[in-house]
Amino acid sequence: MGNFFKNINRNKALLFMVLPGTIWFFFFSYLPLAGTIVAFKEYRFSRDGFWASIFRSEWVGWDNFKFLFSTDDAFTITRNTLLYNLAFILLGLVFSVLLAIILSELVNRRLSKIYQTGMFLPYFLSWVIVGYFVFSFLSMDRGLLNQILGWFGMDPIQWYSEAKYWPYILIIVNLWKSIGYSSVVYLAAILGIDKSLYEAAMIDGASKWQQIRGITIPMLTPIMTIMTLLAVGKIFYADFGLFYQVPRDSGTLYAVTNVIDTYVYRGLMTTGEIGMSAAAGLYQSVVGFVLVIISNYVVRRVDKDSALF
Amino acid sequence: MQKGKKRFSLAITALTALSVVLSGCGGGGSTASGGEGTSEKPVELIWYTIGTPQKDVDTVMAEVSKYTTEKIGATVTMKMIDWGDYQQKMQVMVASGEPMDIIFTSSGGFDYVQNARKGAFMELDSLIDEYGQDLKNTIDPAFLEGSKVDGHNYAIPANKELPQQEVWRFNQNLIEEYKMDTSGVRTLDSLEPLLKTIKENAPDVTPFAMDKNYIPYVPYDYVIQNLPMAVKLDTTDYKVVNILETPEMKEALTTMRKYYQAGYIAPEAATTGSTSDLGISGKWLLDRAQTQPFADNVWSTSNGYPITSTPASDAIITNNSVQGSMMAISANSEYPEKAMQFLNLLNTDATLRNMVDSGIEGTHYKKTADNRMENLPESKNYDMPSYSLGNNMLLNLNPNDPDNKWDEFKTFNESGVDSPILSFNFDPKNVSSELAAVQNVKEQFWSSLMTGTVDPETYLPQAIEKFNQAGLEKVMAEAQTQLDAWKAENGK
Repeated sequence: MGNFFKNINRNKALLFMVLPGTIWFFFFSYLPLAGTIVAFKEYRFSRDGFWASIFRSEWVGWDNFKFLFSTDDAFTITRNTLLYNLAFILLGLVFSVLLAIILSELVNRRLSKIYQTGMFLPYFLSWVIVGYFVFSFLSMDRGLLNQILGWFGMDPIQWYSEAKYWPYILIIVNLWKSIGYSSVVYLAAILGIDKSLYEAAMIDGASKWQQIRGITIPMLTPIMTIMTLLAVGKIFYADFGLFYQVPRDSGTLYAVTNVIDTYVYRGLMTTGEIGMSAAAGLYQSVVGFVLVIISNYVVRRVDKDSALF
Repeated sequence: MQKGKKRFSLAITALTALSVVLSGCGGGGSTASGGEGTSEKPVELIWYTIGTPQKDVDTVMAEVSKYTTEKIGATVTMKMIDWGDYQQKMQVMVASGEPMDIIFTSSGGFDYVQNARKGAFMELDSLIDEYGQDLKNTIDPAFLEGSKVDGHNYAIPANKELPQQEVWRFNQNLIEEYKMDTSGVRTLDSLEPLLKTIKENAPDVTPFAMDKNYIPYVPYDYVIQNLPMAVKLDTTDYKVVNILETPEMKEALTTMRKYYQAGYIAPEAATTGSTSDLGISGKWLLDRAQTQPFADNVWSTSNGYPITSTPASDAIITNNSVQGSMMAISANSEYPEKAMQFLNLLNTDATLRNMVDSGIEGTHYKKTADNRMENLPESKNYDMPSYSLGNNMLLNLNPNDPDNKWDEFKTFNESGVDSPILSFNFDPKNVSSELAAVQNVKEQFWSSLMTGTVDPETYLPQAIEKFNQAGLEKVMAEAQTQLDAWKAENGK
């Protein structure tokens, strides 16, 4: 016991620093875990509040999971969530590294800063606002895109009921919003690269392109790996705002816009069956967990130092 | 060091968990202890109701509270939730145990029967006997009888029109401007010439106003509102059918598609939550609504320009109309007795009822005679839906209302024809997972089909197949079994 307090005393500064994070995780990640049991219950209201309702509801085993798998919903939402996130990760990586390199090569520092800020700005916008931006482009009768189509004598397109365009729209909107942020990380890494490497390369007569391929990209690889791994860890969590606000909750688009998060939300909102929504949420967590374990395992085999754990 | 850290966080965890549990226990339990609920120490009743939130709601409720404090020792806080959001928001708030006492419920908004079964509402039988005698004598017995779930009352229905009749509403200014004739209008198809005229002459007007909840009228009664199971109104065999497979609905959807393509319907109708902005701007020609005697007066007064209507269906008494506007007491209400006393007063006391409906005398309205009133300009800050706020027959008359308005209501109520499945309440207990899957399918197809946004030629078969995949047939079979049993029991 004495040892224990000694340890605390020795590390009090460090412990104090992790305290906010610990508290946050406890309240928002660990405490709600107890609620998982709702997934196995038929939730009924009790007058003594939420917790009493949970504990007094009847156990129903796996019944709540049935609705997920009785249609092809489970497949659709899993597929959408995974493929979109995969596209976001890959394209996001390519474009943000590209952008960072371009920004770093700009000679005019001031212009570079302006571009950087401009591209950073969308990251701070709420999805609701982005949703209206997109609407002003895609609105059937007043949208910019349909007007442009009209100038070329083409028929207007009902963007909000044509599912085939939405995979592209969602990917473009997401890249537009997130790329400025991630490119800053890479830009910082590029600026940290030892200038003498480039000087040496220039003396040897390397072209700009050779310098980028031979120096910049290899120096960025570790940070690219870490950023990608972190993203893979969240591959089963879709960005709710992107998939709910941007398509304006249009039913005809569900086949390509329904992801696990929106599905759980809609299930809870329309049926009010808390047990079933919790079941869908639990499914998401379990599959997400398995994915993280697998991807980490793969990375470990390839490069032990880059693995998360 | 590792070990110590672990133990330390364990200690913190235990401590926090304990404090959470303790604070959790402190909440419930305390019901109206000594001295509370008198005019000196009134209790607060929280009332959730449907409708676009009004600017002056708190001001009016302060006035209402003065009155109720004196009468029953309770103050009232009203929280309004907009039409399109009510169902969803209430679902979450009730599930999470948000404190509330009085809840607006109906077959359409925050479903009465399903939520009563889930335990969201308090059973009111004994409370009505104890505190609601006046109310029981005032309200048409058909309402209290028709809103029983498994033999018990879970909400107080508003005394209003009993049958449900659909009408086409017209923006009379436009009708007159373009010299249109509405007398031959009844079916969906008969609207076409009117819509066409407006489209051609006034391109900035939305000819056919609707939001995403619009459903074409077909002569069927739905087993559960907004789910495709229904029974034909003139049925003899009491067969539950999929509404999407009926010839009537197919035809209606084809017409809707035609209208949509002709530009009579707003292109974004399937994702539009509310058409109240059209109502304010007056840039619409017609829409569909449920009527009551002299409804045109009410609509004209509330919009500020003349509105007329013609019938789109017969007057039918359905569960939907009997359970069309009710107030329940929340299962977690801290003061159920006070809430019942308030409901009793609201449904029997004209002063209170009119205050809740029209606001403060002299600010929002002025009295012109004993039971007559006229809206003042300020009333736009307190424009309430009358039907959802209790006994309609206590309301003051508007300038255009005839003296016999409420007698006409009684006549209208007697004229209604009972739906074949009136007072049959489906119990989804055995098919709840199928029902959830069916709901998801409905979300996907419903609005875009009903508003004509998509072509029924391709989407209707798809929707039907998806519904069946989700288990609609099983749900319908269950409904049929229950309906047959109910039919045998009630000697139909």
